[in-house]
Amino acid sequence: MDAIAARVEAAPAAPPAVPRIPRAVPIQYGTALLVLVLVAAPLLPVLLQSLLDGALYEHEYTLTLANFARLARTEGFGQVLLNTALLAGMTTVVAQVAGTVAAILFGRTDLPMARVLGEFFLWPLYLSALVLSFGWYAVYGPSGYLTLLWPSVLGEAPWNLYSLAGMAMVAGVSQAPLAYIYCLSSATITDPSLEEAARVSGAGTFRTLWRITLPLMMPAIAYSAVLNFTIGLELLSIPLIFGDPAGITVLTTFLFNNGVSSPRPDHGLVATAAALMLLIVCFLVWLQGRMLGNTRRFITLGGKATRPRAFRLGALRWPLFTLAVLYILATVIAPIGTLVLRAFTSFLSPMIPLGEVLTTGNFATLFDYPVYSRAVWNSFVVSLLGGALATALIGLIAIIVHRSEFRFRGALHYLALFPRAVPGVVAGIGFFYAFALLPGLGGLRNSIWILVIAFTMRFIPAGLGAVAPMLLQVSPDLDRAARVQGADWWTTSRRIVLPLMRPALVGCYTILFVSFFKEYSTAIFLFAPGSEVIGTALLQLWVQGEAGLVAALATIQVVTIAVCIAAVRGIFGVKLHG
Amino acid sequence: MADLLIEGLTKRFGGVTAVDNISLHVADGEFVTLLGPSGCGKSTTLAAIAGLDQADGGRIEVGGTVYFDAARGIYRPPEARSCGLVFQSYALWPHMTVADNVAFPLSLRKVPGPERRRRIEEVLALVEMERFADRYPHQLSGGQQQRVALARTLVYHPAILLLDEPLSNLDAKLRDRARAWLAELRTRLRLTTIYVTHDQIEALSLSDRVVVMNGGRIAQVGAPQEIYERPADPFVADFIGTTNFLPARVVGAAPAGGRTLLELADGQRLEVVAERPAAEGSRVTIAYRPEQIRVAPEGGGGEDGSVLSTHVTSRSYIGGNWQIGLDLAGSPMRLEARQAPAGDPLRLWLPHSGGILFQGGADAAA
Repeated sequence: MDAIAARVEAAPAAPPAVPRIPRAVPIQYGTALLVLVLVAAPLLPVLLQSLLDGALYEHEYTLTLANFARLARTEGFGQVLLNTALLAGMTTVVAQVAGTVAAILFGRTDLPMARVLGEFFLWPLYLSALVLSFGWYAVYGPSGYLTLLWPSVLGEAPWNLYSLAGMAMVAGVSQAPLAYIYCLSSATITDPSLEEAARVSGAGTFRTLWRITLPLMMPAIAYSAVLNFTIGLELLSIPLIFGDPAGITVLTTFLFNNGVSSPRPDHGLVATAAALMLLIVCFLVWLQGRMLGNTRRFITLGGKATRPRAFRLGALRWPLFTLAVLYILATVIAPIGTLVLRAFTSFLSPMIPLGEVLTTGNFATLFDYPVYSRAVWNSFVVSLLGGALATALIGLIAIIVHRSEFRFRGALHYLALFPRAVPGVVAGIGFFYAFALLPGLGGLRNSIWILVIAFTMRFIPAGLGAVAPMLLQVSPDLDRAARVQGADWWTTSRRIVLPLMRPALVGCYTILFVSFFKEYSTAIFLFAPGSEVIGTALLQLWVQGEAGLVAALATIQVVTIAVCIAAVRGIFGVKLHG
Repeated sequence: MADLLIEGLTKRFGGVTAVDNISLHVADGEFVTLLGPSGCGKSTTLAAIAGLDQADGGRIEVGGTVYFDAARGIYRPPEARSCGLVFQSYALWPHMTVADNVAFPLSLRKVPGPERRRRIEEVLALVEMERFADRYPHQLSGGQQQRVALARTLVYHPAILLLDEPLSNLDAKLRDRARAWLAELRTRLRLTTIYVTHDQIEALSLSDRVVVMNGGRIAQVGAPQEIYERPADPFVADFIGTTNFLPARVVGAAPAGGRTLLELADGQRLEVVAERPAAEGSRVTIAYRPEQIRVAPEGGGGEDGSVLSTHVTSRSYIGGNWQIGLDLAGSPMRLEARQAPAGDPLRLWLPHSGGILFQGGADAAA
């Protein structure tokens, strides 16, 4: 033993030389610069254009505030703002009511099959609002399956999707999962003894729910309400599909109609409206940040993550179960099921027996057109490759922000989270200007890489949200140990921190894959012939009235996302929300 | 191996000075413990030596290499120092096996394959963990993890070894065994070692010298026996071992080494041999270890001690001995005795020499 000890204590090597410029410096500054360019690229042109009298690409112009005055005078713009506020507000009400009730019913009561119902309730979260709208159209639209079936039994159908209330219903249902997730996580971390105390002092199930459980959820409800209101403002697909034909314009469709589909776009007006939208959303995101601070203060009172005892519903158990099943059927299963069914039929109507119309012709036609098969291919490339590149960038940002001595890491964190405040349409317009302005980028402009760049910028905050919590759980002692043993920052990151973050990076990649795959609102301003993706192709097909092809393309999107999520959950056990 | 020189080390966190102008020289091969309550600056000092925190002022030098010098703007990052640090949490990398954990520092130093394998085997044998080379950290007990953490540090021959409360995450029985093992290993390796702990038994039993820290400053530096028997101030006396403090007033001053006569608050008097003479009429505090005082035998205490009357406030059997709580002139005292006290009041014997006299009132000891 002493011989071993003698050899172990052999003279130490001289300490290594200190490099003049550590490797960390170029990596950290390079990443920060890249993020700065990504975030500033779409914003600067929009803000600049809103202050110019001519088009940005002309060489002579003067700074002016005239655009704002012109926008205010634009006929119907007041109505646009009112519609936007009404739609976002009503959407929020629908989403919050459905989400809160679902959180209590599925998360806190002895409702039969609550877990399964909860899973179904989350589905709209994974699908794009565009696809969901097509589904609703197929069931509840003017010639929808149920709309046609209804009169034969009950007289004229009482709903109309082509109205503010109809749109709010579709949007609300698609956003209810967000309210559900926030309320559910709030419910699982509040102290169950608070409810038990109420019950011991004689309060019944519903009184306890109303007086204790619901008030404790208030911070989560309020926060997700602001979140949903913001998303409601940014919505493009639903107003485009249901609002435009009925003459109901909101901010996003105003931007779309004047910026993309108009033959002679008024750049000053479009940029000004976009800047206005940017300001409003910035304010709302700031509000979210403040409220999150408040809710945290409120929630941590409880502490331990114990699962509180479920409320007994008693005689109402089965009636409430029936209601919940009906809701899931009507809002999730029927729209998606009908859409998929429509993809496999030549014509779908309750008047015609299903057996006579079943066909795979829609898919065959779809792949006969090079445009549409290319769109599917592009979507896969953008999501698989772009998602991987974006995940690498996000992983790098995360370790620089949370695990380095980089001098500007605070600023980098703020910058990386800023795209939360940039609506998809504004990012689309902004990147469009940026690529039109900068010389030498013409090649990129007509390729799918412009989409990869824009999508990456849009979803950095979502990716960071998936990575950061796990990174914060990894003890900093683990990197310190490597540093003391002689590994510099980059070696430590590569060999210790990043391998430990693998599950979080898989989660991040999945979220980015799904987000990139279903994204359309940014792409619609940026795609060119040859760089179509599924989202843009869906809108084009819709405009042409090709209901069968729309359904087939949407089905491809739904199935791909479902397979991807099921695979990641099954193989890695990664939670993709919460 | 190398010596460690710290000069005027200062570290501030916002407005709080965590380490306040500390100077210390640790000789080559010496084992020095930084001892103190939490927040005394001992871990901050350790982090500054390792380079995990950049200090605000002062100088750190190991074996002639300047690690840090505020005046000359020198700061070596942790990877360019040659420290070995064992963390309180062990910080074993959970995605690597024991062998991979130990191999990591060698691969950084580009040690060739055969030699790498030999050194891993050797160091795992040294910590008696060779059978566990292919296990993952989560499959090991706390004590085993601690050994691997030590092996991972020893394998690359660091110039100095830094240990940050390495035993505090072990349960009491295991801690005793690990301490004995560490003591044995330390005599074999003779590495320059800085050991941080808040546990006085670890400090006293392992160290060549103990540095007691309080509020970011060094309260006393000395050999374990010196620290225990001649604490420099009431804080050290209180922190190292259990100490009974008695406030008193000097009524009969004496030169150094002579018997000083003291009077307690209730008028009882006792004599003490003081190394540091105290002025007549001044307020002093006298400190006794529990093992120095005992119940007075029948019929007087003899020439070498004073006998005082006390009230019994509590008695509890602690296995083998009784722990007796006393009230002496308003001050709580504690002692251990073989037998339960017979009655109340109880006659207490205090030795003339052995107690330590501090200037100032009893609150100085709090």
